[in-house]
Amino acid sequence: MEVAILFIMVIGLMLIGVPIAVSLGLSSILFLLVLSDTSLASIAQTLFQAMAGHYTLLAIPFFVLASTFMSTGGVARRIIRFSIAIVGHFPGGLAIAGVFACMMFAALSGSSPATVVAIGSIVIAGMRQVGYSKDFAAGVIANAGTLGILIPPSIVMVVYASATDVSVGRMFLAGVIPGLMAGTMLMLTIYGIAKVRNLPKGEWQGWGEVLESGFDAGWGLFLIVIILGGIYGGIFTPTEAAAVAAVYAFFIASFVYRDMGPLHRTDGQRNLTLLQKPIALVTAFFHRDTKNTLFEAGKLTVTLMFIIANALILKHVLTDEQIPQQIASAMLDAGFNWWVFLIIVNVILLIGGQFMEPSGLIVIVAPLVFPIAIELGIDPIHLGIIMVVNMEIGMITPPVGLNLFVTSGVAGMPMMRVVRASLPFLAVLFVFLILVTYIPAISTWLPTTFMGPEIIIN
Amino acid sequence: ACDDGEIVIKFSHVTNTDRHPKGIAATMLMERVNTEMDGTACMEVFPNSTLYNDDQVLEAMLQGDVQMAAPSLSKFEQFTKQFRIFDLPFMFKNIAAVDEFQNSETGQAMKASMTRRGLLGLEFWHNGMKQMSAKKPLISPADAKGMKFRVQNSDVLKAQMAAMGASPQPMAFSEVYGALQTGVVDGQENTWSNIYGQKFFEVQDGITETNHGIIDYMVVTSVDWWESLDADVRDQLATILNEVTTERNAVVGEVDDQARQAIVDAGSTIRELDEEQRQVWVDAMKPVWEEFVEDVGQENIDAAQAINAKH
Amino acid sequence: MSARYEPQTMLGRLVHEIEETVIALLLGAMTIITFINVVLRYVFNTGLIWGLEAVTFLFAWLVLFGISYAVKITANLGVDAVINLFSPPVRRMLALTAGAVCIVYAGLLMKGAWDYWANFANLPQTTGRWFPTGLQEMRMTNYRGWYEVVDIPLPEWLRWIEPLMNEGEEYEKIPRFIPYFILPFGIALLLFRFVQATWRIWTGQAQTLIVSHEAEEAIDEVAHMNRGD
Ligand code: NA
Ligand code: NA
Repeated sequence: MEVAILFIMVIGLMLIGVPIAVSLGLSSILFLLVLSDTSLASIAQTLFQAMAGHYTLLAIPFFVLASTFMSTGGVARRIIRFSIAIVGHFPGGLAIAGVFACMMFAALSGSSPATVVAIGSIVIAGMRQVGYSKDFAAGVIANAGTLGILIPPSIVMVVYASATDVSVGRMFLAGVIPGLMAGTMLMLTIYGIAKVRNLPKGEWQGWGEVLESGFDAGWGLFLIVIILGGIYGGIFTPTEAAAVAAVYAFFIASFVYRDMGPLHRTDGQRNLTLLQKPIALVTAFFHRDTKNTLFEAGKLTVTLMFIIANALILKHVLTDEQIPQQIASAMLDAGFNWWVFLIIVNVILLIGGQFMEPSGLIVIVAPLVFPIAIELGIDPIHLGIIMVVNMEIGMITPPVGLNLFVTSGVAGMPMMRVVRASLPFLAVLFVFLILVTYIPAISTWLPTTFMGPEIIIN
Repeated sequence: ACDDGEIVIKFSHVTNTDRHPKGIAATMLMERVNTEMDGTACMEVFPNSTLYNDDQVLEAMLQGDVQMAAPSLSKFEQFTKQFRIFDLPFMFKNIAAVDEFQNSETGQAMKASMTRRGLLGLEFWHNGMKQMSAKKPLISPADAKGMKFRVQNSDVLKAQMAAMGASPQPMAFSEVYGALQTGVVDGQENTWSNIYGQKFFEVQDGITETNHGIIDYMVVTSVDWWESLDADVRDQLATILNEVTTERNAVVGEVDDQARQAIVDAGSTIRELDEEQRQVWVDAMKPVWEEFVEDVGQENIDAAQAINAKH
Repeated sequence: MSARYEPQTMLGRLVHEIEETVIALLLGAMTIITFINVVLRYVFNTGLIWGLEAVTFLFAWLVLFGISYAVKITANLGVDAVINLFSPPVRRMLALTAGAVCIVYAGLLMKGAWDYWANFANLPQTTGRWFPTGLQEMRMTNYRGWYEVVDIPLPEWLRWIEPLMNEGEEYEKIPRFIPYFILPFGIALLLFRFVQATWRIWTGQAQTLIVSHEAEEAIDEVAHMNRGD
């Protein structure tokens, strides 16, 4: 009963325009002060330890930073050119290339909205030029952009791993097959629609263009190798991988692509080379563009972590009142089996996804459902992927969907039109959710093959 | 949940509730308190670091937000450097010697040594003797030269790894399995039950039975809270805790043996050291004692060695 | 959609620049330290033992320093689907209510942050459960200036704090009151910014405390590319 009041208070505050973080935090504080002996000082401790005590969450600022360097540094443009060279000549080619580009950018970035902004801003304009409707273009990108959190690296996976103490490396591996699968399903759907509706296709530009564009994009795409190769090759932990990715992205953006930094020149002049201006090796670190990128990434980290930290306060309250145990025993006493339980999890997350930013929602829901899932013999990695796919769907369903909003902004069209445009592809993602929910092997096969069976330590 | 009017005792720890020696003991303590002291006191156990980790829990205890915890002994170094004696390599021959030392006058005095800082030690709980493992066979400490070893955050343990010529790497416990598997670190040290529970043996060449150190815990409470209890409540609680401690500490050797056997059964290699090989390790690590003798106190080392001689 | 924040006065511009620079520096330092530690370990088989702990503290500093800035530029995420259904006067009332809620939140946190930090700095906590009703009577166990962090050694130039904070005893590591100081500091700034933001709503200079979505600014930058049908 008290829990119901707690959650109603959280949602009520959000709906009258209180920031999400404050809604979570204040409701938790009031709850603790009324119902327990715990002090306000312990809330402050939880807030501080949200950052200082969760080593895994450190990956978030680093992945955000890498992604920011990649977006401002011209990587998206090169990836799109490469995608068009490969799949542009199929029916619906440019749309398929858009999905393909989203998949590649997703492999560099940990967030979905970032993927939509980076790829969508260019591809939607390009698709309209060659004769696609704006709605179709927006629908494709809004959906494909959600792959940003399913294809590793993924901020949402980092948060899940941190909340449940599973390995981040394992979660990342688990996302690979579902990510490729969801992307393929979207591309096949577009291909089918293109055949029926006779959508425009591009021209095959030859292997030369594939190689040249591939090489140009390769500098950026090599980041995938660094992240996954570094983690599984024993060079660094997933958190460190994120920091290395950020440093690499800085070098590529400043010294190779030179779309920013001391070697970049505006008004159409050729960018400088390092030979012409070797001092750039030093000045790049202090350049205005570098500072602005660091600052933009820092700002995004702050807003994201403010929500996560307050969600952790809520989690602390739930734990302190032993609510996960109560819910677990109630559910187990009711005799739920694993597939009914997973339906419930899906419904909770789809509803929660209407109000909450994905990372914050995971922090709150994961500790509630995780113990039950383990009790029912569900693989924790499988549960994690189910959660991530739910978050994807939450991002493109009204009223609150990050990707819907971002797409409507990027495409310059009203949100409800984006919603309608997304529907056919949303149906695809729902089918995909059902597949992922009831075929655990899609998520667990790759990590089990590479890293052995999941061990449940707790 | 607790009834109104009962004294709420929150016990926070970092392991599971039913397989780890500490978790089992905490659960047993909770069950006994909740039956025998029903109406007076009520214990809630928060396992798996769900409420606090070992570092945060001591702050929270001083603040009055949690009443009992059982952190690993290395966590108390910050309160009194004497506790570094439990991290010094080859200080104790076996768990029986540890037990005798903890129950000696010196050991009992250590429990009360932090009262000026606000903490009171109640009982010692055993986990067991530490073993070494790495990606390559470890027969002599020289084999560890140039390798990266994960250690708990403790200056003594870092010095111990350095004495072996290995590079100490602090790392969150949850990252260790993955790091050993991929090779971010090459080796680690732990008790049999931890090595088995965390499946570290799967991703190591083998385990060397060094018995070079111990992992033990101390059940602590805050002085303020403990003194606020009525004398009879405090006595009853202390008695139950003492009985649980005796019962669990007596069987910890069995738990260790089972874990060791399970690792053998899983096909992992266990390397035993003969007297001579062991002496090489002891000699290599002697400088660590000298480094920390001032913190630990020569008289405490002497007391430990006198007990060792009997075992 | 809210307009980009523009500082109005000279002092405002200076503060703004300082805030942005500190955020950039903190994130930059976190990245560099982590990167150096990877190189040291993988290439040179060594490492900065204190690196990990330092980075986690910088992370806490980044976020706790940054949240007040996020309030100032109205960057905190929220849900605006419902408030947009109402007429402007109702919306104004809701925004003022939301502002009051935020001030209460920051006020309670302020007490918590002070109480948590104070004993580590040998200062008294406040008494009272909800609101500060006075100052704690300090007993020996309340002086926690001796309490050190786990890994970061005390730099030599900070030795002068030993007689002040640790009864002249030597610190091996930095004492906890240093990294924890960001709590009362950051929350005080947060409280100030929430009061300021609510005042701006009261005087009609602002309409809301929230931005609907994290990528709003980035969208503004690219939206012109796809305007029109
Ligand atoms: Na991604
Ligand atoms: Na939604």
